[in-house]
Amino acid sequence: MDIFTVLFWVIAIILTVISLVKDQKKTFEAMKKSKGMMGNMLGEIVAIIFIIGLVLTLIPPETIKQVLGSANTLTSTVISALVGSITLIPAFVAFPLVGSLVTVGASIVPAVAFLTTLTMVGMVTFPLEKKEFGMKFALTRNLLSFGFAVVIALTMGVIL
Amino acid sequence: MKIVEIAKKNKLPLLVALVYAGLFLFSPDQAMKSVGNSVYYLLEMMQVLPVIFLLTVVIEALVPKEMIIRGFGKNSGIKGNLLALLLGSISAGPVYAAFPIGKSLLKKGASISNIVIILSAWAVIKVPMLANEAKFLGVNFMAVRWVLTVTAIFVMAYMVGKIVKKEDMPADASDLGVLQINEDYCIGCGLCAKRFPEYYEMTGNKAVVRKMPEDEEAVEALQASVKLCPAKAIILSLEDVDSEKVRKELNISNT
Repeated sequence: MDIFTVLFWVIAIILTVISLVKDQKKTFEAMKKSKGMMGNMLGEIVAIIFIIGLVLTLIPPETIKQVLGSANTLTSTVISALVGSITLIPAFVAFPLVGSLVTVGASIVPAVAFLTTLTMVGMVTFPLEKKEFGMKFALTRNLLSFGFAVVIALTMGVIL
Repeated sequence: MKIVEIAKKNKLPLLVALVYAGLFLFSPDQAMKSVGNSVYYLLEMMQVLPVIFLLTVVIEALVPKEMIIRGFGKNSGIKGNLLALLLGSISAGPVYAAFPIGKSLLKKGASISNIVIILSAWAVIKVPMLANEAKFLGVNFMAVRWVLTVTAIFVMAYMVGKIVKKEDMPADASDLGVLQINEDYCIGCGLCAKRFPEYYEMTGNKAVVRKMPEDEEAVEALQASVKLCPAKAIILSLEDVDSEKVRKELNISNT
């Protein structure tokens, strides 16, 4: 557990204790409500995690590296953005991977597109987002994020 | 019948289980590798979900509605946007952990734009991630990408707020119905707990609510439980009721 997660735990526990002290009944009532909401999500979350595992097997980091480093910048930017949308690899894998590519001289545009959609666009978590916030919200947010990721990538290509 | 219902409610898990079953049959190596990959994320989930649970409880029980509306509501302006950015940035955990938090805030009056900011910032801006990025790609690269991303998040929040309205959101579980038992009326017959063990249980000789209905089907099913109760102690309020008000109406003591 990193320090931020630990801090997160500490804050949550302190707030819960305050809530319990202030109004025990209301807190327990809220727990029942949250249990309903989270219980409903749990199955989906576990399913999503196993999808992530599967995608990682099908699109391993080596493949991503090939896509990011391919010659045609425009097509590789779009493909990299797509790959970033589908996969969900941990930051401590993604940054060294992209870093190693950039140091050997690959264009940063596809790299940024990949890094940005990796976190901002969630194809795998889409079903859950849709369930919680509705189709229109999930679709609008993810499509806009994809578009902006490409814009961010192109802008960075110009600036840096 | 029961199995069909469970399957209907868990389409995604079922589908994934089927895919894995198929993979284990035809390519056990890849299946094992996929399971191995998933373990890291399962551990991450277990570290974060309990915290999320507690935080949704705190938002629901401790934080007054007016405070959320003032902080994150439609008229909270730039200050609300910055607050949302900060909240998303200091949080820990994967983006799906942000969904319950966002939902709880939305229910209490946060604007759709600010929910977009929280979700996006939660996904993209993380202090440990920024440090990692600076280490492997340089401080310059990290800083420029951060500025561009934050700008994009604000523009996106504004656009989503214009396109998506509150009516486009699915009805929330607790908007669907709040389940309550009037302890003074309950005679402790246990009928409700026997018929709907998922939602009621007996503590001592009184029935208590275990779980609020999570979807419209559950509300429908639970209406039968209201009729079932011989003492008419079960109340299922169908619109978004302030539980404070219900409690007052029911005259349920706070002790």
